[in-house]
Amino acid sequence: MMEKRIRKIIADMNKIADYDISASVSRDKIVTLNGTALYWKQVVDAGHKVANVKGVRNVVNDMISKDIKPNIIDYSKKIKEVKNNSISESCDVVIIGAGISGCAIARNLSKYNLNVMVVEKNSDIAEEATKANNGNIHPGVLAKPGTLKAKLNLRGNEMYTKLSEELDFELKRTGSLLVFYNKKDVNKFKILKFLKYTGIGKLIKPLSQAMKVPGMKWLNTKEVRELEPNLKGEPIGGFLLTTMGLVEPFEVCSALAENAAENGVTFKFNTQIIDIVKEKESIKEVITNHSTIKCQTVINCAGVYADNIAKMVDDCFYTIHARRGAIAIIDKNRKGYLNTPVGLMSDSDRSNNSKGGGASVTPEGNLLWGPNAVEVYDKEDKSVDAVDMDYIIKLGRGVTDEVKKSEIITYFAGIRAADYKEDFIVEASRKVDGFIHVAGIQSPGLASAPAIAEMVEEILFKQNSNLEIKSDYNPIRVAKPKFRDLSHEEQDKLIKKNPKYGNIVCRCELITEGEIIDAVHSPIPATTIDAIKRRSRAGMGRCQGGFCGPRVLEIIARELEIPLTKVTLKGENSYVLHRQSRV
Amino acid sequence: MNKRQVDVVIIGGGPAGLAAAIEVKKQGIDNVLIIERDSSLGGILQQCIHDGFGLHRFGKRLSGCEYADNFIVEVKERKIEIADKTIVIEITKDKVIYAMNEIDGITEIKCGAIILAMGCRERTRSQAFIWGTRPSGVLTAGTVQRYINIEGYLPGEKAVILGSGDIGLIMARRMTLEGIEVKGVYELMESPGGLTRNIAQCLVDYNIPLHLSTTVIRTHGNKKLEGVTVAKVDKDRQVIKGSEEYIECDLLVLAVGLIPENELSNQLNINIDTRTKGPVVDEYFMTSMEGVFAAGNVVTVFDLVDYVSLTGELAGRGAAKYVKGQLKMDKPITRLEPGENVSFVVPQYVRKHNLEEKLPLYFRVKQKLEKVEVTAVGNDETYYKKKHRVVLPPEMLVEEIISSNIKEGDKKITVNVMEVSKE
Amino acid sequence: MKKFTCIVCPVSCILSVDEKDNEVQVNGNQCKRGRVFGVNEYNDPKRMITTTVKIENAKIKRLPVISTDEIPKSRLIELAKELYKITVDTPVLRGDIIVKNIGETGVDIIATRTII
Repeated sequence: MMEKRIRKIIADMNKIADYDISASVSRDKIVTLNGTALYWKQVVDAGHKVANVKGVRNVVNDMISKDIKPNIIDYSKKIKEVKNNSISESCDVVIIGAGISGCAIARNLSKYNLNVMVVEKNSDIAEEATKANNGNIHPGVLAKPGTLKAKLNLRGNEMYTKLSEELDFELKRTGSLLVFYNKKDVNKFKILKFLKYTGIGKLIKPLSQAMKVPGMKWLNTKEVRELEPNLKGEPIGGFLLTTMGLVEPFEVCSALAENAAENGVTFKFNTQIIDIVKEKESIKEVITNHSTIKCQTVINCAGVYADNIAKMVDDCFYTIHARRGAIAIIDKNRKGYLNTPVGLMSDSDRSNNSKGGGASVTPEGNLLWGPNAVEVYDKEDKSVDAVDMDYIIKLGRGVTDEVKKSEIITYFAGIRAADYKEDFIVEASRKVDGFIHVAGIQSPGLASAPAIAEMVEEILFKQNSNLEIKSDYNPIRVAKPKFRDLSHEEQDKLIKKNPKYGNIVCRCELITEGEIIDAVHSPIPATTIDAIKRRSRAGMGRCQGGFCGPRVLEIIARELEIPLTKVTLKGENSYVLHRQSRV
Repeated sequence: MNKRQVDVVIIGGGPAGLAAAIEVKKQGIDNVLIIERDSSLGGILQQCIHDGFGLHRFGKRLSGCEYADNFIVEVKERKIEIADKTIVIEITKDKVIYAMNEIDGITEIKCGAIILAMGCRERTRSQAFIWGTRPSGVLTAGTVQRYINIEGYLPGEKAVILGSGDIGLIMARRMTLEGIEVKGVYELMESPGGLTRNIAQCLVDYNIPLHLSTTVIRTHGNKKLEGVTVAKVDKDRQVIKGSEEYIECDLLVLAVGLIPENELSNQLNINIDTRTKGPVVDEYFMTSMEGVFAAGNVVTVFDLVDYVSLTGELAGRGAAKYVKGQLKMDKPITRLEPGENVSFVVPQYVRKHNLEEKLPLYFRVKQKLEKVEVTAVGNDETYYKKKHRVVLPPEMLVEEIISSNIKEGDKKITVNVMEVSKE
Repeated sequence: MKKFTCIVCPVSCILSVDEKDNEVQVNGNQCKRGRVFGVNEYNDPKRMITTTVKIENAKIKRLPVISTDEIPKSRLIELAKELYKITVDTPVLRGDIIVKNIGETGVDIIATRTII
């Protein structure tokens, strides 16, 4: 049945356009696609169509298209070189990737008598999807019922309260608001409300996930207005999902990583996995660009590169396709303009402005627009284009129409790591002992991270019954002081204690030299200008680092005792200064 | 926490603040304090090592440093108190300033009057809506100027400059002299943003091409800038398809405009003019908050430092008068409004009874016009008329009205720039 | 006839300069200084030079300098390079001569900032 459906899909696609797609199905119901399409979008469509066929476990999409230039890097030489240089280390568990999943898992594992290493190819944690996230801890309404995503999202959301207390990061449970504008929709939502309150909705499969979500509140016209007086037009009513939380994604990731590091986890940055060596279908060691690391367990949290990593152990049953999303941040003059993230509920409202609508807020109260979603071939393509911006402006102005394009202070993009089932993959490899897949972690990956970590912990526990909790494990992490949140008396005391807090480096966000030095010497050291920005907020304001950039650069150089020309914006060769002007 | 009282506090020790402080002292107020965040006075002038400053005031072409030094020397001679390496973090509505530095911690200062002289800041890459990646090697012109002139570092080898305002032009020459290859200056508008003489001495002299109606639309390179895409734009500033060109470079210098720095002013909720992006000011450059004055580029971005100093002095005189109780704050007021082909006028309103002998008006035209007449028209009388051969948006106009001519009851005076009909 | 943009002041007059009967004639200027500039620009264009030299034992790493008078435009780059070889030590007072008679031009290079 399944194979017949797949053959039909492939035949239809080959008929419509001049493709030469072929599909093969493995015994464990993994479909592999091959062939060449005209456009990348068609490659992605093909993957999705096949993945949607009932019974298909996942899709390996090896198709290419004529509008892309495949960039395959051959590491064989480098692998030989590293093997020969014989720099060898060892540990129990290697976690690949220091994004939100990797850091959450590292923190969970740091409580055990395990030697854990987190290996990250970038110069800092959270460098990929995590830092480009809008910080919503989703209530879990939108996940498809029955998926792993749906389960982990609900669980993760719930876990955030305790997590924020233990790790001292800001979590605001503002709730999120879904509104509608069209009178025609009143009855539809009355029915929804009825189904929710009676509990009948749980029996209707497509609604079952939404009905499981706790804390849904129906708001009438007046209540919507009271909650969000600045919303566009005249919303008629809506649902408040009270469990929606807001966080700074980087802050969460760094809190997790710092706590993990304080409990003994080693973080290795600028370190890329180029091969994994097995022995009789068990993990033996990983090879990085610097060394070989002997280990028993490898946890693959490599985000967009999770499929490449899985290939290294010959257990790649999914393909990660890059879905880019851009976000725009609005000037802090609009702080407090919205109290909650707001979206449109109804298709009829979406068609009114053609692109739907939605705006979010940061825990600080700043307004942000986006993200959008664009399939891209290049997993490194974090560019933002005019079309992206037009789209997210429409999205944002769909609910906050008074805010103008000129009020945007910055915009950036991140890549979501999606597989073709569009679900999370968190499981032990069925082929290789000691290899754990944590792949396809896209939205709501931030909200689900604590639950993902819990699940990986359980998997590891099953595999290794000797795990013991360390006597000195400390789940508490205390955040460094934030100068601008203190009263003038407290600020005065802090400066008297350490004069470096008396030197403001970033005027826009009121960040002191003391805080920048703290960031450089934190458990996860900030070694680049962007890393400082993410930890301290220096350079995040209106002037976007115009004033503080040179000063931050100088502090980094001084604290790390490196020449100014060796300080980078974001790792690798991203130097800011080329050379001294005179010798 | 230290507490003190000061008659007039000047925030910012750049050209506006220095001129204001000297003037306050000259008016007999001794308890004056300049708060400067840097370790030396002079503000941005200290990195402006090129000449061309002070022709109006000193009759000579000084370098920015020399212009600043003239004032710094006088400030020191007059024994004006300076709090350097000190930053103001808050101003309250009852004119209390919270300032901080490494040594004294936080100091609470009760002020008789405050002069805001924080200058301006540069517009950023995001505000210019340049697409593509976000690599290193994209810097504002002011930052590049600081790196080269103060720190002694070159931020690249091959540069593209976006924006033909004066800073962009000055940096084109400066980088060329330092051995950086400047591949071109790109300007979105049809006409250059900077002074014509700067096109001549900064670009033409060094054979640096200027591309008008052309802009940088995209940056390339994930970590380090590898190049930019430039493209021509049509009259509506929309990119002309097919005109895109890739230019290899490791430095993109942004000279895409300056904005008055009003982070502190915003805390006070004072009225901001949406056209100048600075506070609305009166005849003595007092803002909508009584006793809080503004001077220099905080009010609007001037193209000559001489004007900045003049407004500093005016605000200084105003603050001194205010502290002495010599300003009559009662109405009536006369509004000054931009009329035909004028984009803004500073000050935005005046009280006739407080006016000095002459009332200087600072304004810009919206577009280039030739053979024009500037007029300032009251209810039914023209107070001022002057002919100009050519007027350009980048070149600010300053005209002085004889104050005694203004009628007491006038509600508004409109400033127009109109072509003289060809007869 | 040659056209120049006068750089003496921000008015930036467009000058037309021509030679008639061994006399250089300038049109388009609005002031005397403009005429002088036009004649010079026609015969031997000259410019001020402003740059920096290396300074040691100071908070800032470069000392700004200026020429006491204009130097031939054709020699700007060459003389700038010459200045790049120079290192001075603190203290420096504004107006201190950094290079006397640079490149035999008769023009001195002086400091424009006091650095103690």
